[in-house]
Amino acid sequence: MFRFILHRLGMAVPTLLLISVMVFALIRFIPGDPALLMLGDMADAQSLAQMRSSLGLDHSVVTQYLIWIKAVLSGDLGFSISSRQAVLPLLLDRFSVSATIVLVAVGLATLIAVPVGLLAAWKQNSPMDLGLVASATLLLSIPSFWLGLLLLYGFGIKLGWLPVVGYVAFADDPFKAVTYLVLPIVTLTLVEFGAIARMARASTIEVLRLEYIAHARAKGLSEGAVLWRHALRNAFAPTWTLVGLILGNLLGGIAVLETVFTLPGVGRLMVDSIFARDYPVLQGCLLLITCIYVLVNLCVDLLYPLFDPRVKL
Amino acid sequence: MHDYVKKALCYSLPTLSLCLAASTLQAGEPSMIKVAFNGDIRSTEPGVNRDENSDAFILHIVEGLVAYREDASVGPMLAKDVTVSDDGLTYTFTLREGVKFQNGKTLTAEDVKWSWQHYLDPKTQWRCLSEFDGRGVAKIVDIQTPGPLKVVFRLDQPNGVFLATMARPDCGASGIVHPDSVAADGSWIKPVGTGPFTLGQWKQGQYVELDRFKDYTPRDEAKPDGMTGNKQAFIDRVRFVVIPDAASAKAALLSGGVDLLPDVTAMDEAELKHVPGLSVQISQVMTLNGLLFQTRDPLLSDVRIRRALALSLDYPQMVNALSNGLSAVNNSVIPTTSPYYDATAHRGYTSNLEEARRLLREAGYKGQPITMIVNKRYPQMFDMGVLSQAMAQMVGINIQLETLEWGTQLERYQSGNYQMMAFSYSPRFDAALSYESVTGNKDKESRKVWENPQAQELLREAQRESDTAKRQALFDQLHNLMLADVPMVMIYNGTNIGAMKSRVEGYRSWPIAKPRLWGVKLADTSK
Repeated sequence: MFRFILHRLGMAVPTLLLISVMVFALIRFIPGDPALLMLGDMADAQSLAQMRSSLGLDHSVVTQYLIWIKAVLSGDLGFSISSRQAVLPLLLDRFSVSATIVLVAVGLATLIAVPVGLLAAWKQNSPMDLGLVASATLLLSIPSFWLGLLLLYGFGIKLGWLPVVGYVAFADDPFKAVTYLVLPIVTLTLVEFGAIARMARASTIEVLRLEYIAHARAKGLSEGAVLWRHALRNAFAPTWTLVGLILGNLLGGIAVLETVFTLPGVGRLMVDSIFARDYPVLQGCLLLITCIYVLVNLCVDLLYPLFDPRVKL
Repeated sequence: MHDYVKKALCYSLPTLSLCLAASTLQAGEPSMIKVAFNGDIRSTEPGVNRDENSDAFILHIVEGLVAYREDASVGPMLAKDVTVSDDGLTYTFTLREGVKFQNGKTLTAEDVKWSWQHYLDPKTQWRCLSEFDGRGVAKIVDIQTPGPLKVVFRLDQPNGVFLATMARPDCGASGIVHPDSVAADGSWIKPVGTGPFTLGQWKQGQYVELDRFKDYTPRDEAKPDGMTGNKQAFIDRVRFVVIPDAASAKAALLSGGVDLLPDVTAMDEAELKHVPGLSVQISQVMTLNGLLFQTRDPLLSDVRIRRALALSLDYPQMVNALSNGLSAVNNSVIPTTSPYYDATAHRGYTSNLEEARRLLREAGYKGQPITMIVNKRYPQMFDMGVLSQAMAQMVGINIQLETLEWGTQLERYQSGNYQMMAFSYSPRFDAALSYESVTGNKDKESRKVWENPQAQELLREAQRESDTAKRQALFDQLHNLMLADVPMVMIYNGTNIGAMKSRVEGYRSWPIAKPRLWGVKLADTSK
């Protein structure tokens, strides 16, 4: 297993290098000038030239890349053009917010959706199955920002139970932190519940048709034991793959939800940096997302044998 | 329920309730107002690495020698008075006595000189350096301090907009800061100004706070007047909460998450003014919204086509739709709230479809497409594009909209790479600054819209002139010339609408649109 991890991490190095070139080049293809965006419509030519020079944008793109990659390799992602903050601590700070929400929400969604999917598969084509499938499809179809706004309106404005905007770090006030995170976590849980439940149901239906399930039933095992001990372990692998993909996708930022709930997460940071053409932050965000994908996929692969004994690393 | 669960609940619930009660009922808590900002501030350095929010924030901490009044004229702030020599080359500022910095030190002429030297040092990267180092109208050649409360600025040539530029919010009002604001190596630490608030906690991406400066030295006036007057603060703490999404900001106001939205849309105003417990404040602003023509474009270089387009627009209908009936038509680059907006500036275009068709026939226009750049970041620019496209079609002008992201549009504006563009200029608080932003030689500055040598000469005169009546006459001539040349069609100035909880007292929207939290009180609603 150790060799497998080393091999996968080794493979990630050229991937990250290639991504760094692509990210650097693509960002500079976006029309728009960070210096101009900072100076606005009153900028004169000399001020613009001075600003570009102070931001290091007067070098050729290749030179800019070499300067940047050299710094990255020594652990320095540079400084934000707009806020002048160091990018690495900024990214880590913002990532911790996104990661908290995503990990809790996807964890909750998985814990709820897998038994629901299992139940729906067990009662396939019954009114209960239809009801659960309809609910999952409905939740899957609702855009997250709209669901977020609905919850915000209901629980924040109408009932006044929860704060509508803002964020408090756990370290500052754990109780307040929870109240600020409830709505975004519930929104994300509901949205992701649909996809995971449908996948759990579909893969369980497939497994329930296999001969070893019939054999287990023929042995006289209880339905619970058949479902939990035999069906779930084999049916969970595709669901786990989906959970991994969802995690990789969401950990890269939940920009829409972060904007609706005004959370200082990595998604909002990335959107803001696109609008401001804040190249160092944008490059940092994209590198972070790439690393997350690589690591999440690695973790998913490493955990496969836990659920599916047929998989060997 | 299991016994241990019951026991846990019996012990934990009262404890939790007590904690909650204690946290909400702390006696003597400082008063705080929460204000929504659509983005975080960029820095705390006046006029350096700044944007609209940074300017609005920093102007609570620092004050300049002069500042804009409520009517957008310029008045003294840290200065008791200002005298200008007859040749217009020397400005003498007498400082108010006993003004305290936020570190307890007393303001002196040397502090003013130090601040200006700091701004005029290219290393500071002050946004307004080009206005004072000779690239603009005039250069500051010398700053002298003949007395502890006297500062003398000498210019190389007369500059009618010297004080107006000094007071510009985007210049950080040329705020006077104490040398303690800067470290020994010249790097910025934090603003130590003379304003009614000091810098509080800044949680980047979340909120930034101002704390009341208890030893603030107010001016003698009874009330605040724009950015000057009596700026005494009454609220202990102001928290600017970063809420980028407009719908979320509105929800925050409705739920009590914030007390004040300093800038809501006209559509939201129509809704929020009917909500019990909320009030709105409306003011016309100095933003310039209009359509720009590239006068070097082969097609649009023909003034008849530009004029035909100007005559095809139904301005009252358009402005009514764009502003929800809150703004008036203004075809001048002088905003309606400017002291220089007179009867001449009020003159504009009147829709005349027959004349527009005649001009197009005369110019030989055969429906060639004209591309107009718009964006969706700023809805008024997109809406202006859509409405003008529909109206121009009535006379046969074929406008095609090209929707770009704002950063891309700004680059196209800067390079002059467009045929037509719906555009909004940020507020210019002096008529000469408004004309300066559009007038010039495109070979030297491609962003300039109007290149008419006569206009450039009139503008230069207006920039040097200090006499109000003479300046007015020059601006009137410029306006008439612009109406004839049609390098652009200004349409309206827009509004600043603040929406707030009814308990917020003393807050006013105003032409410069920046929120001002001094003079604001929170009513005690518990009584």
